[in-house]
Amino acid sequence: MTHMPDKDIPGATPAACAGVPPEDTAANSAAVAPCPGTAADQSTAVNCDEVVPPASVSPGTVTARKLLLWAGIGAAVTLAVLVACSLLGQYRTTSNVWQLRAYRLLASAAVGAGLASAGMALQGLLRNPLSEPYILGISSGAGVGVIAGLGVPFMAVGPQWLRSFLAQTPFWASTPVLAFGGALAACVVVYGIAQRRGRLDSYSLILSGVIVNIFNGAIMLTMYLFLDPYRISDFARWSMGQIPEAPDSGLLLVCCSCTLVGWLLMFAQGSAINALALGDEVAASSGVPVHRLRVLVFVLTGVVTASAVALAGPIGFVGLIVPHICRMIAGPDHRKLLIVSGFAGAIFLMLADTLCRTVGPALGVNKIPVGIVTALCGGPFFIYLLRRRLRETPV
Amino acid sequence: MTTPAEHAITAQDVSFSYRPGHNVLDSLSLAVAAGQFLSLLGPNGSGKSTLLRCLLGELRVASGKVMLDGRDVQKYSPRELARLVAYVPQFPRSAFAFTAREIVMLGRFAHMGQLGLAGPKDLAIVQSAMAMTQTQEFADRTLEELSGGEAQRVMIARALAQQPQVLLLDEPTSHLDMKAQRMIYAMMARLAHDWPMAIICVSHDINMAARFADELLLMRKGRMVARGKPADVISHDVLAQTYDTEVQLVSVPDGPPLVMPK
Repeated sequence: MTHMPDKDIPGATPAACAGVPPEDTAANSAAVAPCPGTAADQSTAVNCDEVVPPASVSPGTVTARKLLLWAGIGAAVTLAVLVACSLLGQYRTTSNVWQLRAYRLLASAAVGAGLASAGMALQGLLRNPLSEPYILGISSGAGVGVIAGLGVPFMAVGPQWLRSFLAQTPFWASTPVLAFGGALAACVVVYGIAQRRGRLDSYSLILSGVIVNIFNGAIMLTMYLFLDPYRISDFARWSMGQIPEAPDSGLLLVCCSCTLVGWLLMFAQGSAINALALGDEVAASSGVPVHRLRVLVFVLTGVVTASAVALAGPIGFVGLIVPHICRMIAGPDHRKLLIVSGFAGAIFLMLADTLCRTVGPALGVNKIPVGIVTALCGGPFFIYLLRRRLRETPV
Repeated sequence: MTTPAEHAITAQDVSFSYRPGHNVLDSLSLAVAAGQFLSLLGPNGSGKSTLLRCLLGELRVASGKVMLDGRDVQKYSPRELARLVAYVPQFPRSAFAFTAREIVMLGRFAHMGQLGLAGPKDLAIVQSAMAMTQTQEFADRTLEELSGGEAQRVMIARALAQQPQVLLLDEPTSHLDMKAQRMIYAMMARLAHDWPMAIICVSHDINMAARFADELLLMRKGRMVARGKPADVISHDVLAQTYDTEVQLVSVPDGPPLVMPK
């Protein structure tokens, strides 16, 4: 790399010494090193292909190998936690206890991974640290769908054909689809309120999420009024966020695969989400289809959140807390973060649910909904994060 | 004088309005060739930034055409467009704590694959873009840890990493001190001539623009008032008409006269 001494103008090193030519143009061959000034410069000008130092990968650069390494470590730790958690707790005499525990842990892992990665993707996409499926009303939208799917067949009111249709459809098929419908409707409403001429307003976004949340809560409560009184306590527990003791294998399969696919597709957008950090205009000018990316990530978030809610009900704080911890540990790159947050969410929820499963009986309450634990841990932790950031910021 | 085919970017009779009946741009035409540094000047609300966003393809013009390398700017895919045009905003900001080097690497987005994994060529281009803008010394610091001028140089390096033929800047020096302003204007002039690329820079500092830009374009209410070499454009009548205020010109030994409010 050659440096021409600054002549009359400081701060403008000649383009020649670096040779960043326009690519894919007719001028390509001629302009490999567009060289200003003198012939001496020409002779020392370096073609960028020659400049390439063999191992110039700086420590911060994300490479395929590093991503695979993170994924491998994440998978290994998750698996270890899964095995460890399955060993904890009282043994029961039923023969299928291991299978049930494995199912339950798998469900926790899928729900945690889905909510955390969805929260991560939304925070990056919207450049807003408060964005997550629960706060934006996507979880409660999915919740309305699930209650409708599970409750309507047993209601005393409503069209007969709808009730019989839902009663005949296996619930592993109906609940995820209805949950996705509800989640997507919530996304459309929240996004629709907060966007104007393709630009998103951060405050309106959170505000519309809060409003949609309250509205969805009211719809769910209204549906409770028409439900079979004997089933209300089940639904109440579900709406606190509870990993089922014996998840239906069909539902588990559908939701796990949807979560996995959604997670992978969100990861594939990590690089575009990174570019959004510099603002919509700069991102668009560097080749990011901003509007299409937003729609895609919202739909993926809807799929993943719907799967989580269909399995375990609306669980809050996982999508908020886990991404924040991951950012503190793994830095700002969303390709890395989307991998890390998925595994971290899975681990977090498996641990939280194991806590519910083991501590609950000890306290004399048989079942503790995991949503309560995540909120009890998450609330204070979030306040701690906020205070710490405030203290670090100079006055 | 260059022929139209040689122009990197042209706007023909471009009109644009946010609300019907209120034209922000009113049949405005311009053409800039590679190697040319044009500065857009005019009072607030004269449509400079809107023109820039039309040239970027971000806004769709109501009538007229923006042509880039002989093709309508709206016909390009975002990736194709990003390999031809780069943009530098007024305020450098990053929502997440990326280092300067990572930010420059974001400029390679349109050249890389879906996952944005950098190859040796991308690394070399990032390195040279940082060398050109003298940003290597703080490559591992985040934008927040840099001064305004340093951060803006990082944003220019990021734009250069796109390897564009056209560089558009929206008041890049409006919040910078004199040294940083001079450095960035000098950098734009060098880039335009040496790369060579077409540079269009929105500015409020007519003296700085006159000193470094090849041509000035004065706008008022979405229309072009004057365009030409700084020495030709800067006259009492033209400026008084454009800015609608009294100005005085002060002769200096080298270069066009200085413009001062009266």
